[in-house]
Amino acid sequence: MLLQIDFKSGKPVYLQLVDQIRYAAASGGLRTGEPLPSIRPLAEELRVNRNTVAKAYAELESQGVIETIPGKGCFLKESHSPFTKSARQKILTKEIDEAVVAAHHLQVDRDAFLALVKERLDSFERKVKEKSDND
Amino acid sequence: MNTDSPIIEIQNLSRRYGKLDAVNDLSLTVRAGKCYGFFGRNGAGKTTTIKCLLNLLRPDSGSARVFGLDPRKHEVAVKSRLAYVPDMVAFYPWMTVAGTLEYLASFRKHWNEDIEADLIKRFQLNPKQKTSHLSKGQRTQLALIGAICPEPELLVLDEPTSGLDPIVRREFIETVIGAYQSGDPGRRTVFVSTHLISEFEGLIDEFTIIEQGRELLTMEADAARDRFRKIRARFAQPTTQLDLSGALNVKQSGREMEILTNGNAEPLLEKLKVRSPEELRCESLSLEEIFVASDILKKAKA
Repeated sequence: MLLQIDFKSGKPVYLQLVDQIRYAAASGGLRTGEPLPSIRPLAEELRVNRNTVAKAYAELESQGVIETIPGKGCFLKESHSPFTKSARQKILTKEIDEAVVAAHHLQVDRDAFLALVKERLDSFERKVKEKSDND
Repeated sequence: MNTDSPIIEIQNLSRRYGKLDAVNDLSLTVRAGKCYGFFGRNGAGKTTTIKCLLNLLRPDSGSARVFGLDPRKHEVAVKSRLAYVPDMVAFYPWMTVAGTLEYLASFRKHWNEDIEADLIKRFQLNPKQKTSHLSKGQRTQLALIGAICPEPELLVLDEPTSGLDPIVRREFIETVIGAYQSGDPGRRTVFVSTHLISEFEGLIDEFTIIEQGRELLTMEADAARDRFRKIRARFAQPTTQLDLSGALNVKQSGREMEILTNGNAEPLLEKLKVRSPEELRCESLSLEEIFVASDILKKAKA
């Protein structure tokens, strides 16, 4: 799993890490039981404050994506989501709203947007399938 | 000590050299565990402020407190808990690298020899080399080792990376992130003055921009990147009569526009969108771009 920070995205740095790790977890870039990079080397590599990485990991833990095993590090949890369906949909709604607003500004119309969503979903499912085929 | 009490607290600090106001009514607060950036152009008053913190200069008025103490009255108590890397590093020329570190360690209650050995190896310094034969980069590295091994609560860095090559600068910053924050990051505070901002971008939690001795802007880094944005728009025809009041700055060149926004990117994007631009992009300003735009910020403030 390779992480990247973009200071120009307007998104707080720790949230960028949260999103990327969640994406890696969902797409198979990071598997259940696999360790996440330790805080210190990751902070050095990305050249960000250790507190930023620690904050991202704390957020992921509170979302139930990862768990910390004392003395061993952080690991990806079993992929059952701790949230109820409505809570999960609420989180997703927020993310979709962001994409909708971006589409509006970029003048991507309704049909093109929906087509793009479909295309991305297909691509995501293909990736997940490839990963599981390789196992 | 109460963990909520600030590590550095500067209130209405002023220091003059003759008729020149080097620092003029400056106030700022650095909380424990934060990495605080202190940005300003050459001659803005950064070093003067730091010297007041270390009791190397006396303020004309106002106060500077470190760990809640007055550095003028409790100089030893303050200095034993911090380490300082100045912009110009000087060592006794006849001492070797190892001798210099031993000498520096003799002033300290605590000295982490593992970190010392690690860093000497990482920086590829020869312990037997005389300090007079070190390059500028190596001298800065030696000063950094001397500052990190006592594992102080506060690390004060004054233009630490100016004049160093990009690889040494990168190593310097990685060392501050890694070795310095390794123990208990919540209690390790960094106060760094610099004008090479992009390199420290990821490290900075909060910052103050100082100009001509006065505070221009103090913000948290994430909040600043959220608030200051740059919109780029390109139209099919040169646009006219577009009301962009509220923008910090508008640059127009033919069909293209670049607009700096101050927390109001959304309404401005709406206005631009109505004109059907061929291209419309919006991105955050980096801390360095915010610093460069500070002339514009000043006008916005006035």
